[in-house]
Amino acid sequence: MSHFVDRLRFFTKETETFSKGHGIVTTEDRQWEDTYRNRWRHDKVVRSTHGVNCTGGCSWKIFVKNGLVAYEMQQTDYPRTRPDMPDHEPRGCQRGASFSWYLYSPHRIKYPLMRGRLMELYRAERAKGKDPVEAWEAIQSDPKKRKKYTAVRGLGGFVRSTWEEVNEIIAAANVYTVKKWGPDRIYGFSPIPAMSMISYAAGSRYLSLIGGACGSFYDWYCDLPPSSPQVWGEQTDVPEAADWYNSKYLIVCGANLPMTRTPDAHFAIEARYNGTKVVSMAPDYAEYVKFADLWMPVRQGTDSAAFLAMGHVALKEFHVDKQDPYFTEYARKYTDLPMQVILRKDGDRYVTDRFLRASDFTENLGEKNNPEWKTIVFDSKSGAFVCPNGSVGFRWGEEGKWNLLPKNSADQSEIEAELSCIDNRDDVLDVAFPHFTAGEGDVLMRKIPVRKIKIRNKNTFVASVFDLQVAQYGIDRGLGDNLATSYSDGSVPYTPAWAEKITGVKAADLERTGREFAENASKTRGKSMVILGAAINHWYHNDMHYRGIMNLLHMCGCVGQSGGGWAHYVGQEKLRPQAGWAPVAFALDWHRPPRHMNSTSYWYFHTDQWRYEKVVADEVLASTAKGRYKGYQLADYNVVSQRLGWLPSAPHFNKNPLDVVAEAEAAGAKDEAAVAKHMVKQLKSGDLAFACEDIDAPESFPRNLFVWRANLLGCSAKGHEYFLKHLVGAQNGVMQEGTEGAACQEIKWREEAPVGKLDLMVDINFRLNSTGAYSDIILPTATWYEKADINTTDMHPFIHPLAPAVDPAWESKSDWQIFKAIAKKFSELAETHLGVRKDVVALPMQHDSPQALAQPLGEVKDWKKGDCEPVPGKTLPLLKVVERDYPNTYKKFCALGPLMITAGNGVKGLAWNTEEEYEELKKLNGVIKEEGITKGMPQLEEDIAVCDTVMEMAPETNGEVAHKSWKALGVKTGIDHNHLCDPRQHEKIRYRDIQAQPRKIITAPTWSGIESEEVSYNAGWTNIHEHIPFRTLTGRAQFYQDHEWMLDFGEGFCVYRPPVDMKAHQIVKEKMKNKPHLVLNWITPHSKWGIHSTYQDNLRMLTLFRGGPYFWVAEDDAKSIGLKDNDWVEAVNGNGATVARVIVSQRVPRGMAMMYHAQEKNVNVPGSVTTGKRGGILNSVTRTVVKPTHMIGGYAQLSYSFNYMGTVGCQRDEYVIVHKIEDRDVDWLERPLTPAREAQLNPPGIEN
Amino acid sequence: MHDFIFGAYPYLAGTIFLIGSWARFDREQYTWKADSSQLLDNKNMRLYSNLFHIGILGIFFGHFFGLLTPHSWFLAFGISDLTHQYIAIYLGFIFGVACLAGAVLLAWRRLNSERVHAVSRGRDTFVIIWLAVTAAIGLSTIPVSSGHASAGDAQQMIALSEYVKSVATLSVDPRLLDNVDAIYKVHMFFGMTVVLIFPFTRLVHVWSIPFSYLTRAYQIVRAKRITT
Repeated sequence: MSHFVDRLRFFTKETETFSKGHGIVTTEDRQWEDTYRNRWRHDKVVRSTHGVNCTGGCSWKIFVKNGLVAYEMQQTDYPRTRPDMPDHEPRGCQRGASFSWYLYSPHRIKYPLMRGRLMELYRAERAKGKDPVEAWEAIQSDPKKRKKYTAVRGLGGFVRSTWEEVNEIIAAANVYTVKKWGPDRIYGFSPIPAMSMISYAAGSRYLSLIGGACGSFYDWYCDLPPSSPQVWGEQTDVPEAADWYNSKYLIVCGANLPMTRTPDAHFAIEARYNGTKVVSMAPDYAEYVKFADLWMPVRQGTDSAAFLAMGHVALKEFHVDKQDPYFTEYARKYTDLPMQVILRKDGDRYVTDRFLRASDFTENLGEKNNPEWKTIVFDSKSGAFVCPNGSVGFRWGEEGKWNLLPKNSADQSEIEAELSCIDNRDDVLDVAFPHFTAGEGDVLMRKIPVRKIKIRNKNTFVASVFDLQVAQYGIDRGLGDNLATSYSDGSVPYTPAWAEKITGVKAADLERTGREFAENASKTRGKSMVILGAAINHWYHNDMHYRGIMNLLHMCGCVGQSGGGWAHYVGQEKLRPQAGWAPVAFALDWHRPPRHMNSTSYWYFHTDQWRYEKVVADEVLASTAKGRYKGYQLADYNVVSQRLGWLPSAPHFNKNPLDVVAEAEAAGAKDEAAVAKHMVKQLKSGDLAFACEDIDAPESFPRNLFVWRANLLGCSAKGHEYFLKHLVGAQNGVMQEGTEGAACQEIKWREEAPVGKLDLMVDINFRLNSTGAYSDIILPTATWYEKADINTTDMHPFIHPLAPAVDPAWESKSDWQIFKAIAKKFSELAETHLGVRKDVVALPMQHDSPQALAQPLGEVKDWKKGDCEPVPGKTLPLLKVVERDYPNTYKKFCALGPLMITAGNGVKGLAWNTEEEYEELKKLNGVIKEEGITKGMPQLEEDIAVCDTVMEMAPETNGEVAHKSWKALGVKTGIDHNHLCDPRQHEKIRYRDIQAQPRKIITAPTWSGIESEEVSYNAGWTNIHEHIPFRTLTGRAQFYQDHEWMLDFGEGFCVYRPPVDMKAHQIVKEKMKNKPHLVLNWITPHSKWGIHSTYQDNLRMLTLFRGGPYFWVAEDDAKSIGLKDNDWVEAVNGNGATVARVIVSQRVPRGMAMMYHAQEKNVNVPGSVTTGKRGGILNSVTRTVVKPTHMIGGYAQLSYSFNYMGTVGCQRDEYVIVHKIEDRDVDWLERPLTPAREAQLNPPGIEN
Repeated sequence: MHDFIFGAYPYLAGTIFLIGSWARFDREQYTWKADSSQLLDNKNMRLYSNLFHIGILGIFFGHFFGLLTPHSWFLAFGISDLTHQYIAIYLGFIFGVACLAGAVLLAWRRLNSERVHAVSRGRDTFVIIWLAVTAAIGLSTIPVSSGHASAGDAQQMIALSEYVKSVATLSVDPRLLDNVDAIYKVHMFFGMTVVLIFPFTRLVHVWSIPFSYLTRAYQIVRAKRITT
């Protein structure tokens, strides 16, 4: 009906009145309401989620209308929790709710895009009749042509291409690179698989098939806490968020729960209603502070001092003054506190050395197998040193004794490990502990009660870790060293009063919190928890912050107890069906081993950040160091690490690995051992060298780079400007020449630094971010609402899907289909150019493998220095020959290969047969019908089939596999663990199941907690309750680290180490120093308006906050140089510059600038007045710096594994100069590209 | 031409005005609004907007009553033609100036305020300028009218009034304007055009003046819709 006619309602005006005529009822037309109703009306709802690197892993409803995604809403159908527990829902935050904007936004990549200049060059070569590989070669071999497109990276100039053309050019570049330089010059970077694991697997499977290197991410992001491998032998395992609720005492430290763990924060808040005390530690008045009962405003970067002081209180009151029975029992069984340590004479004092071993005793205490890998306790029952079960030596080469039962290995009799010999000591020695606090001396001298034993007829003093640790904490035990008489004794390090000086937190607060934390743990058997975040992990000495916390937790028996332990901040690093996924992702069904690389070292080398290294390794060394590498630079340590088989390398050598094998075979080598022997000979003679020894040589360059599901340049690239300069070869803001690297002793110094190492950079994305802007080719990928995939997180125990709510828009397609198509083209071109070749993979000694026992006693034996012979797998990386059938790459990509039958599957050192699953997959997904090598094998062509393959092979989603894997572990430990999983033995979770509802996973030995109806998931639970050893040297959680390099760098025990001086802000020009400026610590926390760089450029998020880049400065700091809120400011140091608006706030303490993480340069970023280049991102003023203790390998828990061990990309020790930019000086750089501007890659005045 | 503009055009404009408004109300409910830009830029709007609105409302009612009230009624109230004319001149001047000033300021703001300019469509700018011009021409009739008034001559005013009534009573007679000065005719053309463009602009909000608010009940409950 007509609205107008309806308005003519004279005769039907009212139907009735009420309330004495104050109200009327009308029959007025209500059609207008339909508009609003239609706004929320939809055609279908599909379950999906956001494959973004956050901790959430939230299941969402995606509403589709007229074939378009209209909006999304939180799913609320998670399985219920048990009674007395809050449910997990609603899960989802403002960021996820804004995602649908991207699908049809101007950021969307709609078609394959290519840099116009590259397209012209390539088409011209092709027009000359060259085949694709020849065409690519023609461009690469002409420096002028190459520079034509590399030098304009980041300056726009993309044109639309076709899938056929981009696939051809990518495949041609890959084929050319494999042939000319070697497959290990192709690199792939993609983070955190768990958030969309099939997409990750797509790229990594392709790269693994052709021999490319997959880069790690967790360590590069600096979210890997190296302390976790060091202390537990565990990458990081954490409680699910629900377990926060079970805690009775929570310290939240540098983890902004409501802001960065939005869907889970409610558990912490609800815990308060349950009587839990919450203490927060943050330098600023962060959002989570308001939920706390106590705020301890700790000075940034000093958290370890605070925790050491709390540990001081807990240790003194619950272990020394009295012995809490629960704590003592826990310490004996599950920590290394009773383990004995040898004291080494160092002048007129002693220092702590390595753990005492069975091999130190006559007849090895009866241990035939691995006596050098079995640590020793003093048994107070028998009054003798015994070798208890459970150390790493029991794990390999024998079965049944790798457990934490308190038993003497020799006769399996009960033992009681003695913590302290203070009442039965043979002597008291002066032991020096490294100390790093300025003005307090380089060591702490402590008196230690010791026992005297004879080792090979030599008198040797040993002490328990407990006695050493108590002394190091500065607790006086009446041994005459006059340690802290009271907590208010500020002269003794690690007392609360001392910590107050360092941290700014009141000593009384530290004392009370330490006491309450321990008291609560004592009363509740460990229900005290620390939730910790990036704010304390992103520091150079992050392991000290973390170990300070771990020490406190272990003293109080919290780890492995529900409601207790540590809650590290990562989420989707927990790739739950990992065991089923890894074979697909790294093509282990076809080739083993894959080629992995730790990204921090990779970027440190290849972006030439090592050339600018101002942190001198010797300054980081302890004065007690043996210091065999004194004078070495940080980069040198990494070179040593690679050649000893500790950390991986990419590229491996200064030659193409395909040629290396070919040469060896030409020289008569018939098998892998002979090839290795040939290579060892060449390495010794120098005919073959590690690439890192001449990292700036053209043959060491990375040549092709794939970035997918990631934003390398706009987000995680610490030292962003160095990436631009050396790797990408683009306009950059590096403000210094970089001459420090010349001091390197292991790396050849080349005066001229390489610029633009990459031949081809490919970005695969659905939005145009900074990485895409610098790439040569951008491929349009399906968004998270357009593809089938799987998602897990460790914040909750459910597995749930990404699903196609709509078909991929425009020309986009899923990552699996993208890489499949590239593989197809690659195979075609390989037919003529490559054929079947043999590759050699230099594999570092792997954690959870027998090679973790490669280098005994923690002594460094360097073959290049003549300490020993180079032996692959012992003193040199393993050299594994892999046959690459290049023309069959595509076929292999699309089928699950035969190694799943012949070699089986496994995870974390466990192995099981997987034949049944393989046969079942044939029936489930169908087989390849096409003739060829893959005929009859289960297909991997469709995304959902890949999802089901992963879930079929993983113990977490297939009860039969869980059964097998726990059986395998039971053989090792001699304990039957199968009660944990067998009630669900016949359960199988498939893609369609999780599409219907998120499913709780099945308990698997991949993880250290359990899925149960009685307790929430908590890390370390099976170590404590099932007596499965920690995967460390001692099999226990370790307070002490005895590797030579750990001791050299003074980190045998946890110590307080102040932030390092990066020195980059000291070199800014005088001109700037003369105008009003601030020198501020550059702090980069996770944001409220984005998850890393995702969402921060989303119109909805931009509208909610400042609409462009900003950083926060304290009100008083701002006042001191006349800054007003929203002024333009520049942060600058030697690394580069970034321009943003300033937020002036009382929330932030003086002395720091807080730029929230990953604000990119793609929205509202003007030029920098200092560099003359586009204003930069948060990482334009950072540079990564590596730490030698993270490079250790071949030594029990200190052995390499992907994303487990390795250098970490820290960035918070950095300082910047902040100054105001007048509005009139803001330059948006909106000018055409002139030849002059194109030639000026560096800021003015920078030559190299 | 003269006959078309003053014989047919009023009806053309009136028809488009009525049917156009109706059509727009029925078909484009979401465009039926004042399109206020005050949220984007509120600077000086209290002055600009009130000047304009008070002015134009005054003018509207002045024209309405001045031209449509039967001649005899004025005389019955004791208002002579000359008094009538002076009232028209003075009130017309006051409200006309207010309206013109308001319209010019609003037009200036529309063109110069960055945010308002960004959301302006052609018709928004057009209509405010058109109203300003119409008001300006209207004001420029004042010297002429004053001349008549000082000469004691109300004939032209009466002729205009008669003409308007002839239009209103559907017995239009353009001849009534034969002796009227050209400036009045130009003003009339502009005025009629305002009526013509009315349904295509934001002016439709005039229809929706919520008079009912003056008498409405405190609470209005809409009956449940019976779905058909």
